Amino acid sequence: MLAKLTKISTAVAMGATMIAGAISAPAMAADKATLTLVSELKPAWVRNFNPLTVTSRLATTNQFIYEPLLIVNEIKGGAVEYRLANKHYFSDDLKTVFFELKKDVKWSDGQAFNADDVVYSLGLAAAGGAFDVAGIGSKIAGVKKVDDFKVAVELSEVNTGVVSEIVRAPIVAEHIFSKQADLATFANENPVGTGPFTEVDTFTPQLYVQCRNPNYYENDKLAVDCIKMPQLANNDQLLAAAIKGDLDWTSAFIPDIDRVLVSQNKHYHYWFPAAGSASFMLNFKTPNKDNAKAFNDVNFRRAFSMALDRQAIVDIAGYGYWSVNEYPDALGDQFKAWANPDVSAKYGKYSKFNIEGAKALLKEAGYKDVDGDGFVENKDGSKIEFKILVPNGWSDFVNTVQIGVEGLQEVGINASVSTPEFSILNEKVMAADFDAQFSNYFAGPDPYMYYNTAFHSEQMDKARFGGHHNVDKELDKLIDGFNKTGDQDEKLKIVYQIQEKIGSNQTTMAAMSTNYNYQYNTKRFTGWFNESNPQARPVVWPDTPERLLHVLNLKPVK
Amino acid sequence: MGFILRRLVFYFGAFLVAVVINFFLPRMMPGDPVDAMLAQGARFTAEQIANLRLTFGVDQPLYEQFFTYLGDVFTLQLGNSTFFSNMPVSEVLANAFGWTLFLTGTATILAFMFGATLGILAAWYRGGKFDSLASPLSLVLQATPQLVFGIVVLFSLGVTWDLIPISYAYDPELTPDYTSWEFIKNVLHHAVGPIFCIFIVQLGGFLVPMRNNMINLLNEDYITMGKAKGLSNIRVMLNYGARNAILPSVTALSMALGFVVGGALVVEVIFNYQGLGSVLYNAIINRDYQLIQGQLLIMTVFMLAFNFLADVLYVFLDPRLRKGGK
Repeated sequence: MLAKLTKISTAVAMGATMIAGAISAPAMAADKATLTLVSELKPAWVRNFNPLTVTSRLATTNQFIYEPLLIVNEIKGGAVEYRLANKHYFSDDLKTVFFELKKDVKWSDGQAFNADDVVYSLGLAAAGGAFDVAGIGSKIAGVKKVDDFKVAVELSEVNTGVVSEIVRAPIVAEHIFSKQADLATFANENPVGTGPFTEVDTFTPQLYVQCRNPNYYENDKLAVDCIKMPQLANNDQLLAAAIKGDLDWTSAFIPDIDRVLVSQNKHYHYWFPAAGSASFMLNFKTPNKDNAKAFNDVNFRRAFSMALDRQAIVDIAGYGYWSVNEYPDALGDQFKAWANPDVSAKYGKYSKFNIEGAKALLKEAGYKDVDGDGFVENKDGSKIEFKILVPNGWSDFVNTVQIGVEGLQEVGINASVSTPEFSILNEKVMAADFDAQFSNYFAGPDPYMYYNTAFHSEQMDKARFGGHHNVDKELDKLIDGFNKTGDQDEKLKIVYQIQEKIGSNQTTMAAMSTNYNYQYNTKRFTGWFNESNPQARPVVWPDTPERLLHVLNLKPVK
Repeated sequence: MGFILRRLVFYFGAFLVAVVINFFLPRMMPGDPVDAMLAQGARFTAEQIANLRLTFGVDQPLYEQFFTYLGDVFTLQLGNSTFFSNMPVSEVLANAFGWTLFLTGTATILAFMFGATLGILAAWYRGGKFDSLASPLSLVLQATPQLVFGIVVLFSLGVTWDLIPISYAYDPELTPDYTSWEFIKNVLHHAVGPIFCIFIVQLGGFLVPMRNNMINLLNEDYITMGKAKGLSNIRVMLNYGARNAILPSVTALSMALGFVVGGALVVEVIFNYQGLGSVLYNAIINRDYQLIQGQLLIMTVFMLAFNFLADVLYVFLDPRLRKGGK
């Protein structure tokens, strides 16, 4: 028996070795320009193109099948690129937004697109709950059809920044969706959309292909015939496939990309535009009474900020992909145009790496090493000792905090790194039950989202971004005021005041601006967005509506 | 018969305990499916997060979720997976089961055959060149983490030399057709890397015990007698030595096969192989409670069933048990 099994297994092993390298996949229809992209990492594809099921729908559903009303181009300061709409404006009292729709748009099944579709779709969002995937239910009071190609969205309160949020609600076909018994379980396997790639050509758990919408309203501009999505489970898989040259468009984090990828495949290029900033924070409401004394002292926070070697953080922890952030309010290069030069002039010196300056400032403010352990104590002799939280597994951020801690210890601040699991960190930070943390921020088309999530007192128990827990009601009022006006100069004035408040208080300690990850392959396509063609954020992940503009810009290499 | 009945009652009790643990264990991990999405960098507003919790049903009180779960278990419903796009858990597991059985089963049986054979040789020529090379080497391989081995194989054989595929159980552009030789060849080709990695690590686990058992036996009188009778070395080695020495290894093999339903987590994840290991990994990372529960339940059932089977076999092998210890 044993001998027989051995023979069989040897035959199997030999067979396998012989096949090795002999098989190549049958080529796709050669005459079609097919773009291979990775817009999510998943263990298997499950056929679901219902954009109302955020966790089930495939990542190529929005934009590629369901076009938005318009795209807010974040890299161009929030410039509007119209899609299904061709105009939008506020009523005089700023309580209603009107969208005028394009008249030549058809659904991929040939039916005309009109205001009924938009009223139905935004109505789902306005109702709130599970189908409000953009999370705008509380901001919208009602949606009304003005005529066949004009829709009025009534707001619950004046909010001039709401358009960028409204347009994230998917616009679906009323004649399909309204007939479904249960939208939560509707898998929409054969989608009818307004976007460029509505026809599902191939679908297996490991690969799916979406091809050109025969009724697409911009078919004359579209040079890509099909998009192909190979299933990849993790970053290592993605990297291996990229080196082989199988992928055209990706947005993965690849450490040391020049050596690891670009030197292996000459067709591969990358561009890392600046993204949201990231800061250290001390918890003003820490339960540790002794630490609280130091944390609530602006001089201590300034010394902390001066101890951070931002260039080393960018070069080492960030592989040079990030940029140094020396803005006193951590605004970052992304919003350079909004920066108040006075604030930088007054407080900028506290955001520059300066070990001696930090030591001098601590000394001047009365912090001394009383017990001779090499670390300073409070004026009353009580100990200052704390851990900086950073999520487990976020290796670039963990390294950032490590570099920060080295500087802090050098100036005599007894800080160390702690890496709890994300959800534990999240709970502790929201409940103010911790000493210090390091956090990134998400940015929108203007600085509002950053200021609101990072500094508004109402947001501090809702996310980790406001982890300093410093409540300033005047600052709240300024932030609220930003979206109460439609006047750009007025907005700038408000932002200047916000910066003065945050900068003078050194509420957070900025470290760097992070980057968007984006890699592209020039072997099969040209027209990629990059430094010399910076038309929009180049990322292919589904939370980047600009990817639609990107795909329309690509041309196959002849 | 009384013995088997008592065992059955015991196993039913063990099953009930496992059912309760299977519910609470995943929920004792910090966070929920929404946190898992945030941890992976998803960009949601506070309002979106609240809506998502509603969709997942994780905002319901724990006891309510528990009773729903109990009802589901006894009506044989495993629920729907949150991470695998709302697919029924039974379907997710059924899809993965065959691949894992093929992958780990083949690797385990190969490792057993090679390990046992090499172990016999190492024992027979103990102290010789082969033994002093193979035995320590297999221990080293066994101690090497599968992660290291898998990554090295993936990037050397898969990327640098381009000999084996780096992903999937078969080429995604092929239509599965188990009667076509082309397709079977493709499946085998994709299995070479992962099977090799599991095989190498398991090899030592069979080689070393086999060698040690065999060495003990080689001092027995009947071996000396066999040799004295003038039998060929091969005959003494295989029929007198190995046949007796292999019994404990067979037990080890059946245990290893029992663990097959757990999947080869690390190797499957590295090679993006669609087996139970990568399902479980993704379920845990993404806090997919229904899926973790379902898979743990199946593993429980398998383990209990294998144990029960062993118990029944013992009754037939050991007469004392039949008399119930009287």
